[in-house]
Amino acid sequence: MLDLKLEDIDGILVRYNVALEKEMTPDEAAEELYPKDELIYPVAKAIYEGEEDDVVDALQAAIDAGKKPIDLIDDALMVGMGVVTQLYDEGIIFLPNVMMSADAMLNGIEYCKSKTTDVPESKGKVVCHVAEGDVHDIGKNIVAALLRAAGYDVIDLGRDVPVDEVIQAVTKEKPILLTGTALMTTTMYAFKEINDKLLEKGIKVPFACGGGAVNQDFVSQYDLGVYGEEAADAPKIADAIVAGTTDIAALREEFHKH
Amino acid sequence: MVNKYTSMAYAKADDMLFGQSKFPVKAGLGLEIGAGYTTPELNYAPRPQAGKSMEKLVKEYERITTDAMARMVQIGAPSIVLETEHVEQMSNNPSWGAAVAHAQKTIMEEYHDEYGIKCALRHTIGDIREDRDYLQLRGDKYNTFMEAFEECAKAGADLLSVESMGGKEVFDYSILRNDTAGMLFGIGVLGSMDMEMIWADIAAIAKKTGTVCAGDTDCAQANTAMFIAGGLLDKNLAHTTAIVARAISAARSLCAYEAGAVGPGKDCGYENTIIKSISGVPIAQEGKTSTCAHSDLMGNLTMQCCDLWSNESVEYHGEFGGTTVQCWSETLAYDCSMMNVALKTGKAKDLRDILALSDKFRDPQGYVLAYDNAYKVGEAIAKDGNNNYLRSKNAAIESCKIVEEGVNSGKLRLTRFEASALAKVKADLVALTDDADKFMSDNLTKFKQEVAVFRPENYGL
Ligand code: B12
Repeated sequence: MLDLKLEDIDGILVRYNVALEKEMTPDEAAEELYPKDELIYPVAKAIYEGEEDDVVDALQAAIDAGKKPIDLIDDALMVGMGVVTQLYDEGIIFLPNVMMSADAMLNGIEYCKSKTTDVPESKGKVVCHVAEGDVHDIGKNIVAALLRAAGYDVIDLGRDVPVDEVIQAVTKEKPILLTGTALMTTTMYAFKEINDKLLEKGIKVPFACGGGAVNQDFVSQYDLGVYGEEAADAPKIADAIVAGTTDIAALREEFHKH
Repeated sequence: MVNKYTSMAYAKADDMLFGQSKFPVKAGLGLEIGAGYTTPELNYAPRPQAGKSMEKLVKEYERITTDAMARMVQIGAPSIVLETEHVEQMSNNPSWGAAVAHAQKTIMEEYHDEYGIKCALRHTIGDIREDRDYLQLRGDKYNTFMEAFEECAKAGADLLSVESMGGKEVFDYSILRNDTAGMLFGIGVLGSMDMEMIWADIAAIAKKTGTVCAGDTDCAQANTAMFIAGGLLDKNLAHTTAIVARAISAARSLCAYEAGAVGPGKDCGYENTIIKSISGVPIAQEGKTSTCAHSDLMGNLTMQCCDLWSNESVEYHGEFGGTTVQCWSETLAYDCSMMNVALKTGKAKDLRDILALSDKFRDPQGYVLAYDNAYKVGEAIAKDGNNNYLRSKNAAIESCKIVEEGVNSGKLRLTRFEASALAKVKADLVALTDDADKFMSDNLTKFKQEVAVFRPENYGL
């Protein structure tokens, strides 16, 4: 086989990911971000490591030391998850770590709930779905996981969801945000229908749409649409809404990149 | 009793070439695939509105077929394969698929009669075996699924394919969680079991209808991994993990050829070079010509040993240079012309190497799939060819070793992240049992608990 000399490769391709890699290892970066409280620290660290059992052990230790289970959700579990999402946003860790951490966090929330009669408050409800006729659901699963990880109460309608079922869910749950995913040019038109039926009912919920086939131009064609390019945009859009930006034009201004 | 591959079709990697396969396949109207020349394989999708009725759909495919055939004649291309990847309506209503096949084939026959252009029609049936929440691999839809193959074959399809989905529910869960055993279980074990079942049935239909039982691809799993992994700067999956999924997929897609398929394998099977090395069947591949459908990190490399050269898919509509099917078939045809000249002038090996080297160090995925390394993965599979689990595990471990060698040579550079993902996946693999039954029972228990949509009865378990 012909071969390239080592010194010739750089002129043919550039491994930008290698060239730009951050100095710090993920563990070091995480260490800098953990809260210092000695009861909270082990929970945050166990979340980062995605170790469900360690999360529960650390929670129990904190409860034994007098912390209230309900407070641990926001003060320990969400804080730990915050470390994870920040590292993901900065490109220091990758998605599977986030997924495993999110699983560990959800497990931790269940544990805290089982130790108290108080009911935790969520940041808000989000309804997620994949367009009617479309089974491509991995992007939606990522979106849902990242929203949960950010503290939202996610109602996941699954894939291939009929338009009317989306309308029903939105009417019933009154979410702060509806998300839609479509990977096929043939299925994304369902978003327009959803938009029209919501408006008919006078429901003006921001409708974040994404997925392979969907693009900003298409989403801009219907009133409620906000285009999201990456799954990580979904919690950011939700955060913006919680922070007071509910106007679609303002959301588009912030999230439309093209 | 299926005959499993336990040896290599080629004595050495250097014997593999584009346009040539150990076992060429005659198909359609005067075409022979892998018999010393490459042929473009055009793939297209109807415009969304066209799916509204059977009549509209048939019309759309007639336009597509006529446009493409006309352009091939206009530029003097000697051969073409058209691939129709079913939209859901065509497989769920086999008579629709058949009507489209018939309409396309009629036009192709006219062109063949008039100009002598060699051509064949591939129909790729949609894997419709699922309902909204669950895979339904053996349920009610199985009969319709098989009927779609048979009806399309009778109506004019020459090559029968599918992108089947067995194992996907376990894989989807595992790939987002770095669960190495789950990847292996989903692709290598469950995927292989489903492949063995459906391909025996498709082979019987091909035999009955005198058509070609072509082949499958692990699009549902290995390509999902490749897409989640994305470009150099994406942070959703380590590319070193994605290539392990790909290596395993070769062991899985090989099952089609063991059950009676003869090639050409499907374009989006990036595992196809590995499969060719073991089985000697002709393969379709896509690369830089499929940027209309997706982006990847090996646009030239995939051409290295292809027999059909494809554009994966493009929506039918107008461009400055004609309709999309005309533009892309023309691009494909000129690429094939270049490869065919290389074959005739004795330069094919040089061109193959140039293609491979242009992407070999771009990414760990391309590194492993470069034909010299792909051949090594093939050997790892054939070594335990009789055991679906072991050969999948071998392929996975071999791909890790290949990447490590590349890193040690200094030519393949990894980020620390990719390096640690590689170390993890390899450690996971090495720790796995060699006992296929034990692996099965351990993972059956585990995934029944963890994956709500996993139904063992889909695999006869
Ligand atoms: C994997 C895959 C499959 C898998 C899906 C597995 C699964 N569980 O999802 C399987 C094998 C099942 C499959 C089936 C089919 N597929 Co498919 N598939 C793909 C493939 C290769 C990758 C898709 C993927 O998972 N990408 C990775 C995920 C993570 O990306 P994503 O969903 O876009 O999400 C990212 C962002 O978009 C964003 N995002 C997503 N949603 C949202 C929402 C919000 C609010 C925000 C902010 C962000 C956001 O977040 C994610 C990460 O950042 C694509 C190729 C391509 N070019 O896309 C084809 C592709 C989508 N499939 C295609 C086709 C044609 C099909 C089939 C019809 C094939 C057939 N004949 O059977 C069937 C469809 C059946 C159906 N009715 O849906 C075509 C669609 C063409 C078209 N008409 O538009 C594509 C484009 C391939 C092609 N080039 O031809 N497929």
